[in-house]
Amino acid sequence: MHVLACAVLCLSLLGPHTPFLLTLLSPYIFISSFFVSDSLSRICSTSTKGSMRRPCDSLKREFLKKWMTGLQSCSSSNKDMSILERKKAIKLSADVAMACARNGATCWSRALIAAGAHSGHSNKRIRSKKILKRSCRIRTRRKRRSKCAAQVGRASWISVGKRTRILKSLIPGGESMNEASLVEETLDYITYLRAQVDGMRSLVDASELCRLGKWKWKLAGTVEACMYK
Amino acid sequence: MSSSRRSRSRQSGVPRITDDQLAHLVSKLQHLIPELRRSRSDKVAASKVLQETCDYIRSLRREVDDLSDRLSELLASTDMDSEQAAIMRSLLM
Repeated sequence: MHVLACAVLCLSLLGPHTPFLLTLLSPYIFISSFFVSDSLSRICSTSTKGSMRRPCDSLKREFLKKWMTGLQSCSSSNKDMSILERKKAIKLSADVAMACARNGATCWSRALIAAGAHSGHSNKRIRSKKILKRSCRIRTRRKRRSKCAAQVGRASWISVGKRTRILKSLIPGGESMNEASLVEETLDYITYLRAQVDGMRSLVDASELCRLGKWKWKLAGTVEACMYK
Repeated sequence: MSSSRRSRSRQSGVPRITDDQLAHLVSKLQHLIPELRRSRSDKVAASKVLQETCDYIRSLRREVDDLSDRLSELLASTDMDSEQAAIMRSLLM
């Protein structure tokens, strides 16, 4: 169901050109699905060095699987997207993939999926601007507070409340959380965020190697090297 | 410290994490966040824990942003004719 949400989201990013692009892309998607499944099976195959898989590796694999599905669906040609638009699409698909890897079992993952489904509308742009303004205000507030604390050496009792509010603003869907669930959601979100960063880094490093012509067809070795370096 | 906690509890409308929750957060976060791991002390100020958590989340999101940048530039700059570009496109596009 969440893979479907991923696909729907990514298709929505294509806009009015979707039917034409799907037709154009269908052979590539068909062929690439073999590449993906082959490469993913190699990516997913455990290093023979360790007998026990670390949990974070499985999260990273799960994220990569879903992200590559999303990337294939949403990105089409160079002509239709500027670099900035493609970057936004990549980031959005990464966030949705991360949330789907969590199966929408947490508040933050449901909030990310919902946010992704509403992307592309003008509301999102307005909301993004508000979030940006809020972050800037928070940064200014932090600077002011550090000066006061240094001078006066008190008011730590208000800083916990304020920092809790800041944390709530950083976690997707945090505004609607109570303090009891905020802690668990934070820990969970950080775990998945790290898996997202690891997965993205692996793919980007492998892609840069590929572009430099250093990546031969021995996919397993290079990607594995990127993952475990 | 205890008097400030009591006064904190009387305050209304200010979101607050309980001490138990905070201890739980600290123990888990010390494994996750490098800054807290370095301190290695049992008593870490609540505000510091929350601050390090927020900073860490922000740094992770900045990294995601940077990686998205790199990937979008890679996809835009690949030479149309190269074999490598074809491989990348088949995987990522």
